[in-house]
Amino acid sequence: MGARVYPYLMVLPAVLVVVGVVVYPVISGIMTAFYDVTLRTLNTGTAQFVGFRNFERVFADPVFVQASTNTLIWVVLNVVAQLGLGLALALLLHRAMPGIGFFRSGILVPWVVPSVVAVLTWRWMYDPSVGIANEILLKLGILDRYHPWLGDTATSLYAVTVESIWKGTPFVMLLLLAALQMVPRSILEAASMDGASGWRKLWYVILPQIRVSFAIAAVLTFILTVNNFNAIWLMTEGGPLNSSEILFTLAYKYGFQRFDLGKASAVATMLFVGLVIATTVYLKLIQAKEGD
Amino acid sequence: MDTAAIHPRQRERSAPRVVKRSFQLPKPVRTALVYITLWIAFIWAVFPFYWMIATSIRPKDEIFQRPPSLILNGATLQNYIDLLVGAQFWRFAMNSLLLTVSVTIISVLISVTAGYAMARHRFKGSVTLPLFMLYGQMFPPVLLLIPFYVQLRFLGWLDSLWGLIPVYLSYMLPLCVWLMRGFFSQVPFSLEDAARMDGCTRWQAFWKVILPMARPGIVAVATWVMIHTWNEFLYASTFILSDTKRTLPLGLSGLIGQYTTDWGVLMAGGVLTAAPILLVFFILQKQLVSGIGGGAVKG
Amino acid sequence: MNIHRKLMTGAAALALGLGVGFSPALADNIVFWINSPLASSPDAPIYAELKAFEAETGHTVELQPVAHMEMERNLTVAMSGGAGPDVMALDIAWVAGLANAGLLMDLTEQTAPLAEGYQKGPLASGRFEQRQYALPLYTNNVALFVNNKMLADAGIDKAPTNWEEFREAAIAMTNAEKGTYGLTFGGSRTGAFQLYSFIWQNGGEVIDDEGKVRVGEPESVEAVEFLSSLYTEHKAMPDSVLTANSWDEVNAPFIQERAGMLVSGDWAIAALKNGNPNLDWSVHPLPVGKQAATVIGGYNLAVNANTSVGDASWQLVEWLTGPRSVELMGKYNRLSAAAGAAAPEAIAALPEEIKPFMEQADAGRARPVVAEWSQIHSEVFGTVWDSVLRGQPVADVMSKADAQTKSIMGQ
Repeated sequence: MGARVYPYLMVLPAVLVVVGVVVYPVISGIMTAFYDVTLRTLNTGTAQFVGFRNFERVFADPVFVQASTNTLIWVVLNVVAQLGLGLALALLLHRAMPGIGFFRSGILVPWVVPSVVAVLTWRWMYDPSVGIANEILLKLGILDRYHPWLGDTATSLYAVTVESIWKGTPFVMLLLLAALQMVPRSILEAASMDGASGWRKLWYVILPQIRVSFAIAAVLTFILTVNNFNAIWLMTEGGPLNSSEILFTLAYKYGFQRFDLGKASAVATMLFVGLVIATTVYLKLIQAKEGD
Repeated sequence: MDTAAIHPRQRERSAPRVVKRSFQLPKPVRTALVYITLWIAFIWAVFPFYWMIATSIRPKDEIFQRPPSLILNGATLQNYIDLLVGAQFWRFAMNSLLLTVSVTIISVLISVTAGYAMARHRFKGSVTLPLFMLYGQMFPPVLLLIPFYVQLRFLGWLDSLWGLIPVYLSYMLPLCVWLMRGFFSQVPFSLEDAARMDGCTRWQAFWKVILPMARPGIVAVATWVMIHTWNEFLYASTFILSDTKRTLPLGLSGLIGQYTTDWGVLMAGGVLTAAPILLVFFILQKQLVSGIGGGAVKG
Repeated sequence: MNIHRKLMTGAAALALGLGVGFSPALADNIVFWINSPLASSPDAPIYAELKAFEAETGHTVELQPVAHMEMERNLTVAMSGGAGPDVMALDIAWVAGLANAGLLMDLTEQTAPLAEGYQKGPLASGRFEQRQYALPLYTNNVALFVNNKMLADAGIDKAPTNWEEFREAAIAMTNAEKGTYGLTFGGSRTGAFQLYSFIWQNGGEVIDDEGKVRVGEPESVEAVEFLSSLYTEHKAMPDSVLTANSWDEVNAPFIQERAGMLVSGDWAIAALKNGNPNLDWSVHPLPVGKQAATVIGGYNLAVNANTSVGDASWQLVEWLTGPRSVELMGKYNRLSAAAGAAAPEAIAALPEEIKPFMEQADAGRARPVVAEWSQIHSEVFGTVWDSVLRGQPVADVMSKADAQTKSIMGQ
């Protein structure tokens, strides 16, 4: 077998599985956005092609604008905080010292807790009647009375974001920690001999080494955040008064509360296209830099 | 990218600054600072989990106590006993175990080969292929449920744990391949060439030289798959119908009531679900250390 | 699955042929989705009941518990995918949506001779556009829970029976210094659910029997004003009303003795007993406005329109919702919706704290059975309640809600 066939053979299984299972649902999901699919038309098989009608109906919904803004805030806060904290934690945990395994495992806990239970625990901690978060902040003197974090339209989105950052950071930490561990020791030693130390070594030696992993972590965090449904749905259902509504929860409401699957798919398709464009552009930029 | 050396321009730029090396804290202070930061991070990460455990062993009438108390006044293991004595829990756990082990092994095998090929070889599609695979993950999964269901029904994979494996693979693989590709691109392939010149076959070079170096990455990917399969809920809840084929997360959601929830039992269930994975990771994390990076970065 | 089903059918038929001399049609296998609290363990009463059904009819039943949270979505996905259970348990609020989509079997003819056997409100919850699609498995309604001690401390000697007394009691038990409140209430959808009883009590309507939207009429506005002023004006509700979308959050202040009254259904009983065994409370019929009314909830049973075992499925629905349900639901501490359950002797046999619910069952009303109900409930009324709590003028909010509901209903 020639060396040229090798890589294709090695990639084949992954491609087969993904293409085999995912292609039909995704195409069908996108098609739905262009038909007037409701439970009724779906069941009677009478869904009509409606062109961009579903998209127009989505744009006409005032909630859509708010959900878009919220999505932007939600994504930016999550991605920035998770990457920043994840990198900081990875650097902290990337050392040999007594008890480091204990810290590594502990900091991974949020990721391991089943999402539904984690979200409900946070909701319970935020509760204005029995929430421990309120009690702690009260004891620390930050609050003077229990605050309805999820019930205040000014704080609901941010309260949910905190949970999501808590849950998502360990994954970034783990990826970057693994990447750091793979930086060959010789490079670090060479840098040390050059007299580089501390921040400079981090910035000029370590980060360039792990930048591919960092870029990948960024893409994954981005996708996982946009498609993070549990956190918002189980804590606020997008409320109160749509103050924590993101496009995903809006699509869910269209789809499974109104059973207007065409409209839901229109939102989902927009999200999909947005994600595709954003990731592609980002990765192209990274690659352009790599080729530098 | 594959070049491991420091960029010359960067070295130039950094050189003059070495002279005005700034003030540095003495070592014991720095160590203390590191520990303090670690403890803060640890408490932040673990506190909600602690709160779950506390809720799960609290007497029922203390759960609504105000003000809530950080420390337990009494403890009971009744919730755990209730869960563990019923046959249901063990069956759910076995189902989850079966799924998780299969999906983890298969996806690690497939993604290691694919990731390696993509990082090592430049070939037609080596860049676009993984991107295309990733696109499949970008459509909000909830809205794919109906077509997915139709497809699985057509294939006869509904209500079957084995049928769930390809579904999970399709959901895990794109990310795994991506991650593996990233990790492998960090490996200096010059070592592989050296090994081959020493008379190793392609396979031996890969097995003996590349894999040990990529071990932290593989462990990270395996952990990701393991955790996500173990906790996956949406697909399992839609495609598994029989009581006997349920996984742990489905069992957990069954503990959430329509009106009110027995928080103690639910939290106990959450702790029991998370515990095995935590244990596995505690063992695995030692493997996060690779053959090459093994040493510590001296802060 | 198919082979399995055939084998089961064959085996059952064989057993019947050998055993009993007569055979009621053919023995079928019925797949039955039930809400998981009713089948939480292998010794849940439903299993014994199904055994009895199997023994009597020769059919077999495959029970699949589904959590309430996922039930509606899973039903939608499965039935849209051309599959799904033969018999399903549905929250009464979901009947219209599924019936409208043509997913439920029309049971009108079968039900006609049996109609007298059910309580009126719960039976109506399964009726969509004059056709019966579902029958009540169990029912509930909301009543008034009172903290006896807090009421006595406020100098009031009996639980409120009308709106005026209700408001007075709520204000009397409110004490900013001690941090006590008169009434704990839900937010958003949960609050909206509690709201309907008061709208009806005041002679208002949401959507009347002819399908006309009447959200903006003065009676409805007045009811919303009455309740919301307890928070906005009298501060007689704790802040949890802003977030409480689950009943645990609604109950919490009552359990903590920070709120003296609670408007809730029988599901609160177990939660209160668990949460604070020392609490001294009692249940009373909901205070009466211009007329008595209480919103009913609960689960119905319906049959998949595409089932291959329609007759057997109907038999199962009839069996579980019929007179036997009084005893079966009694084992779960829930209320049967069979007419017999409301008879005086049946009520007398109920535990003390459940009696008030059954006593006011006559005043029970189903929420409008219209296909768009889920949307109207969460998006219109959830928003109404959240808005007025945050100080928006009730009249404006309600007239906006009226227009919105009309547009959703295509009027």
